[in-house]
Amino acid sequence: MLLQLNNIFKWVTTGGQRIFLLKDINLEVEEGEFISIMGPSGSGKSTLLNVIGMLDTFDEGEYNFMDESVHSLKEKHRSNLYKQYIGFVFQSYHLLDELTVKENLEMPLIYKKIKGSERKAMVADMLDRFNIVGKKDLFPAQLSGGQQQLVGVARALISNPKLILADEPTGNLNSKQGEEIMELFKQLNREGVTIIQVTHSEKNAEYGSRIINLLDGRMV
Amino acid sequence: MFFNNLKVAWRSILKNKLFSFINVIGLSIGLCSSIVIGAIVYFDFSFDTFHKDGDRIYRVTTLFESGENEFSNRGVSVPLMKEFKNGISGVEVSAPFMSTYFSTIENKAQDLVFRNENNGILADGAYFEIFDYNWLAGDNQTALSEPAQVVLTKIKAEKYFPHKNVNEVIGQTLVYNDSVNVKVMGVVDDLKQNSDLRFTEFMSLSSAKMFGESDFTTSDAWNGTSSGDQLFFKISEGASVPNIQSRLDELAKEHKNREPWAVNDERWFRIQPFSEIHFGGKHGDYPFNNSNHVANMKVLKSLAFIALFLLLLGCANFINLNSAQALTRAKEIGIRKTLGSSKKQVVRQFFGETFILTLLATVLSLVMAPFLLRQFKDFLPSGIDLSVLYSAEGIFGILLLMLLVCLLSGFYPAFVLSKFKPVSVLKGQFSKGDKGVRLRKTLTVFQFVVAQVFVIATFLVAKQLHFLMQKDMGMKTEAVAYVNLPWNDRSQIKKERVFNQIKNIKGLSQVSWGDNPPASNNMSSTILSYYKDGNETHQEAQILTGDISYLKTYGIPLIAGRERLNDSIDEYVVNETFARAIGFQNPEEVVGTSVKLDTVKIAIVGVMKDFNQRSLRSEIRPLAVRGHYSRGFDGIHFDLGNNPERWTQIVDEVEEVLVSVYPDEELEVRFMDETVKGFYRQEKSAVQLLKWATGLAILISCLGLMGLVVYTTERRVKEIGVRKVLGANLAQLNILLCKEFLILVGVAFAIAVPISWYLVQEWIESFAYKTELSWWVFLTSGIGMAVVALLVTGARTYKTANINPIESLRNE
Repeated sequence: MLLQLNNIFKWVTTGGQRIFLLKDINLEVEEGEFISIMGPSGSGKSTLLNVIGMLDTFDEGEYNFMDESVHSLKEKHRSNLYKQYIGFVFQSYHLLDELTVKENLEMPLIYKKIKGSERKAMVADMLDRFNIVGKKDLFPAQLSGGQQQLVGVARALISNPKLILADEPTGNLNSKQGEEIMELFKQLNREGVTIIQVTHSEKNAEYGSRIINLLDGRMV
Repeated sequence: MFFNNLKVAWRSILKNKLFSFINVIGLSIGLCSSIVIGAIVYFDFSFDTFHKDGDRIYRVTTLFESGENEFSNRGVSVPLMKEFKNGISGVEVSAPFMSTYFSTIENKAQDLVFRNENNGILADGAYFEIFDYNWLAGDNQTALSEPAQVVLTKIKAEKYFPHKNVNEVIGQTLVYNDSVNVKVMGVVDDLKQNSDLRFTEFMSLSSAKMFGESDFTTSDAWNGTSSGDQLFFKISEGASVPNIQSRLDELAKEHKNREPWAVNDERWFRIQPFSEIHFGGKHGDYPFNNSNHVANMKVLKSLAFIALFLLLLGCANFINLNSAQALTRAKEIGIRKTLGSSKKQVVRQFFGETFILTLLATVLSLVMAPFLLRQFKDFLPSGIDLSVLYSAEGIFGILLLMLLVCLLSGFYPAFVLSKFKPVSVLKGQFSKGDKGVRLRKTLTVFQFVVAQVFVIATFLVAKQLHFLMQKDMGMKTEAVAYVNLPWNDRSQIKKERVFNQIKNIKGLSQVSWGDNPPASNNMSSTILSYYKDGNETHQEAQILTGDISYLKTYGIPLIAGRERLNDSIDEYVVNETFARAIGFQNPEEVVGTSVKLDTVKIAIVGVMKDFNQRSLRSEIRPLAVRGHYSRGFDGIHFDLGNNPERWTQIVDEVEEVLVSVYPDEELEVRFMDETVKGFYRQEKSAVQLLKWATGLAILISCLGLMGLVVYTTERRVKEIGVRKVLGANLAQLNILLCKEFLILVGVAFAIAVPISWYLVQEWIESFAYKTELSWWVFLTSGIGMAVVALLVTGARTYKTANINPIESLRNE
């Protein structure tokens, strides 16, 4: 088992009232799964994804990631954990504007303190794999949306994560580009990477092996 | 990692060109002034630091107390030298020396004559024991042991014995003052480092009598003190200064002046550490008679403060702009953190950026430094330059400064920015509560307080200076000039000839004899005794000497009595203050009384109107005018007449006369108004310095303000779009945008007024005549500052307010 969420609650207090963002979420994810989270706006999809990604905290419940209990870990350990095992893909790509494609790919490796020569090899490998060798010295602004997202996925993958979390990865792309990204995800999943994506599109959700529907913070 | 940080930092600097530019300019102004002022301060602290055991070297000086007045003299009475030479417990070695002056020096072998050689002293071997000189030739143990022996510095040796090497010079004979045959016993290297010991010729102290100085082994003149008679000593290791001081106190008491008129006077010997000499001690004396510079601790401190404030302004700018930019950087930080960056790594990256900007600023400031230094050339001692910056200490200092600036300005932005929670950034929730606002406002207020204080201070100091220059001193200062005749040429015939020739120049309306002009920095004073109702009172009075038309030349009117009968009669014309000081409210009454100088009775025959005989820092003091002593007057004073077109012509003619009578001397015609201006050189340089500081402070503050305005207006583009759609006009929008900043400037003004008032008040206290600290000065500077701020903000807000709302409201 890769991760397990038990009775997760998350709320904010506004005007003395608790508004639940997540309500009693129970979820088990096995390695090799491809899960799509769906639901209307404000249903808590992104919040759930962020909790899983350890970017966000929760107020109640237990979260175990690879036999570590995340809820009892200190911030620093938590960040080490996700640094090592989780890659993120965002709707608006979130590439660093002042870095080239190559440098963007390198960034997570630098933070993992991987040596320069090794880094170069891994980056070259990834550029090759995604067929973007020719774009390695371009800056994000010089790429199309689809290409940027391709780089985004490549960057998420470069440190060999066990889990990829994708928050509406195709949200800013046209349908053809979107399809390409989803095909890529499917292929990665076949290669053994666990993927959890948030999506609005039924069609994209179909790529996954399991669909979780959220409404007002609850799994339905 | 490190290079990666630098690379990213460099790119983000390039991305925000405007902000980076403002940052670099602000920092480099601060750094540049720190570097220049640092070099100036370092210069003054580098004097005579090279002597071995310098911390054990002391000088004895003399302090006089007369009633409430204190005077100091850097010299001592000659017999004290003997006491030290005979041994004082705790003193390892004592080196007395006397300043002297050689009118002629002849090298007969090479047939060369040199005239008027300065920088000579009479010293003995102990001088070279205490002070470190590098001996090029001769024996430092015996060199000055006999009379008529001299040691020269290299520069003098080369001058007196051209084309000879130093070893050949030893044993040669020079003829001093036409008659004294002196043997050259040694040559020492010129002091390469900064030193107040600007002596170049060391005559053996035992030859004092041959050069008209008193012999300290036999002298008993305990009550004469000349600033040229110096006494240095080195204390033994572990000996205590207070013990030596108490011995000096005993000696001072034992040899107190017993004259009846000195009954209220005290004379003390004081011990001054060698390291303090350059700073003039408590009374700001020049280090030695031949010094042309004395460091002023107060000035150095103010300079350091100015540098500090300019540096802080630059840092404040930096913090302001960078924390304001936080929003734009937030996304980047969020991404980095999700990619696994720790907080520490983000902090490091931002410090990397700060470092690069600081480095750029440092390079820029090193380029600008010589230009800034040149601005202050006029009132800096000569010999000051920036070479110290490229020495090991200088480079270390600059690195330290860089590090300091880097930390000061990088700390806050780095930690604020690194604190961003990635999830909130990526969700776009971070913009609601902008915590840095208060800090940025505080910093902006701080900047404007500093700038405003500088502005007000500059105005008020300039106003005081203007007031001093304009104030009627009670005498004629326009178009009056004087010339001092050479004091060492005693030929009365030559003097008369000059006087008569000047008198014949057409257009001169008054020509008279006298010594000092009525207002000057060298004023001799004396104690006069006055008998009233059987009691003897003592009155200190300054004495001016001049012929019977002297007062007329300077337009000083008599208000009672008459002028003296002739130029040498023992009669006084006193000023009103003198009359009041000895108890006469009505000047008429003092006429006909008499005072006693030592034993001579002198009649007061007239009263002149009060005038300022010194700079307007001091009050009018009791003063008496008398005729010449036995040897006549040393100066000629003349009125250039009423025709300004003739003035240059007249001065030229006077100079011609001087050259024809004294071809070997360089005599200078001095103008009274120039002399008066000379009183206020310090104030003038203060104004100049303040002007610079003010300009730079305003520049930095405005740059900072501009950055802030750019940032704020960018953030509010959307709001402005909405307001425009709702019907706001340009003026309303501009007011809306500027208001925020003007309030800050207003707050700064409110804080700056009392601060600057206090500071200027402190400064102006030292003047007897003060200009008014008028409210309109404060108000004008405040309004001026507001206008400048308005221009800076207005330019930007106008642009923002003009943006088409369709653009600003379009949703991406």
